[in-house]
Amino acid sequence: MSKYSVSAQAYFKIFFHAAKHPQSSVNGVLLGKEEPAGTVNIVDAIPLLHHWTSLSPMMEIGLDLAGRHADSAGLKLVGYYQACERVDDTALAPVGERVAGKLKDSFKDAIAFVIDGENLGSGEAALIPYISQGTSWRPSGEANAFSAGSAFQLSSPDLPRRALALVQAQGSHQLFGDFDDHLEDVTIDWLRNTACMPSDI
Amino acid sequence: MRLSSFAPPMSLSSALEKLATFRANNTRASQETFQAASVILKSAQKLGDDGWAVLEQLFLASVDIGRLDVADQCLKQLAERFPDSPRVDVLTGIRMESSEPPDVVLQYYAQILDADSANAAIWKRRISVLRRTGKIEKAVEELSQLLDTFYTDVDGWLELADIYTSCNQYILALQALSHALLLAPQNPFYVLQFAETAYTAGDLPLALKTFLVAVDMCERDLDSPEEKPAVGISVRAWLGVKLCSRRLMSNSSPSASNTAIPKSLNLIEELATERVLSAYSKGAGKVPQGKDVVVGWIGAR
Repeated sequence: MSKYSVSAQAYFKIFFHAAKHPQSSVNGVLLGKEEPAGTVNIVDAIPLLHHWTSLSPMMEIGLDLAGRHADSAGLKLVGYYQACERVDDTALAPVGERVAGKLKDSFKDAIAFVIDGENLGSGEAALIPYISQGTSWRPSGEANAFSAGSAFQLSSPDLPRRALALVQAQGSHQLFGDFDDHLEDVTIDWLRNTACMPSDI
Repeated sequence: MRLSSFAPPMSLSSALEKLATFRANNTRASQETFQAASVILKSAQKLGDDGWAVLEQLFLASVDIGRLDVADQCLKQLAERFPDSPRVDVLTGIRMESSEPPDVVLQYYAQILDADSANAAIWKRRISVLRRTGKIEKAVEELSQLLDTFYTDVDGWLELADIYTSCNQYILALQALSHALLLAPQNPFYVLQFAETAYTAGDLPLALKTFLVAVDMCERDLDSPEEKPAVGISVRAWLGVKLCSRRLMSNSSPSASNTAIPKSLNLIEELATERVLSAYSKGAGKVPQGKDVVVGWIGAR
């Protein structure tokens, strides 16, 4: 199995997206590249939807646009992420399976993350990795993803604590916007979301 | 999700105003509500009827952000002031849902419904618990019964549509949404949701027609002589028009609803292109973002 490394930028964006819409399901895609050593480096995330995530037209357009943006940045769409409506729900929704399956057609090591709502406030990595097995997607099977020795790593172990602090102390997630937001106000920079990032990133 | 919030200083009057707006618009901004209501909490009894509404608001926000300690304080005050109130019964149920097993909560709701079968709020809570615990068929059955009794409940129809969508039952979802549209014909969001559901169901002519209805609702001065760029959710509607007309031009798909494909498809597609691009033209205010990828998408065939 490939190894995956999640950057601060990607982790913060996923976290802000979930924090901004605690009572909705949200989803988005992950941008990255495969390093020569075989590690998939997840560099960035592009948030897509929060209104209704199980309908396809805006998903189709958003995916296309995100793919174009990734191209121009020299990156690929390497994965999908989703947070469910309910804190205790960590299943990859059918729409997630479809999108992740589509990404896998152009990037064979595509990955999907479901946000672990119960752990979001805990200071631990709140992501549950799903990998593809044939046509279906299953939890990676690792008991402690993102712990030492796991195939999944954060670029720095303090990211979950930092993300939590940014949300609680600075309200960074309020500056964050996704494709749904952009479709109501095109001045919202959903592709980059630079406004909500701390200055060192 | 369990995130508590920071509290910048806020004046009593601005906090009150904020909360009144949230109540009027049914906004579920739990963190902001929690902040604003915390400012007010101490003077709740002095605020008269408004104070009790704020207390209820703070209760709901506290449950949302996991501050059950605050929620319990609010609930205690409300229950003392309004014993036997059906509205407080609902709040008690919501509080139970946050910590008790579903069976216990369902039993509590069943008890109340036995005594008063017309308590729609309790009935809806019960349905949401059924759905959450995976009893989808039972949830659909009860929700349909509820809508038989309370036909004008728009949220109920939207919930039914949402359940059907999550089960890939798009035709049934469209039926439920059409009731919501009848009841609230002025809301363009429901029209967009209908259009996007029709698209997902594979009925492109119906989706196109409905996206055009949404456009018509959002761009009221479509006939005015001077051109204005597309703004707000009309951008979403135009993108939908573009997507549908482009797909229909390359491949006329059948319509389960027997909706006709407009003859002027080319012109509709051209207009959609123009309107989407107008939204990304530089105006006086803030600069639109991500224009290059949109231009790329529009140019692709």
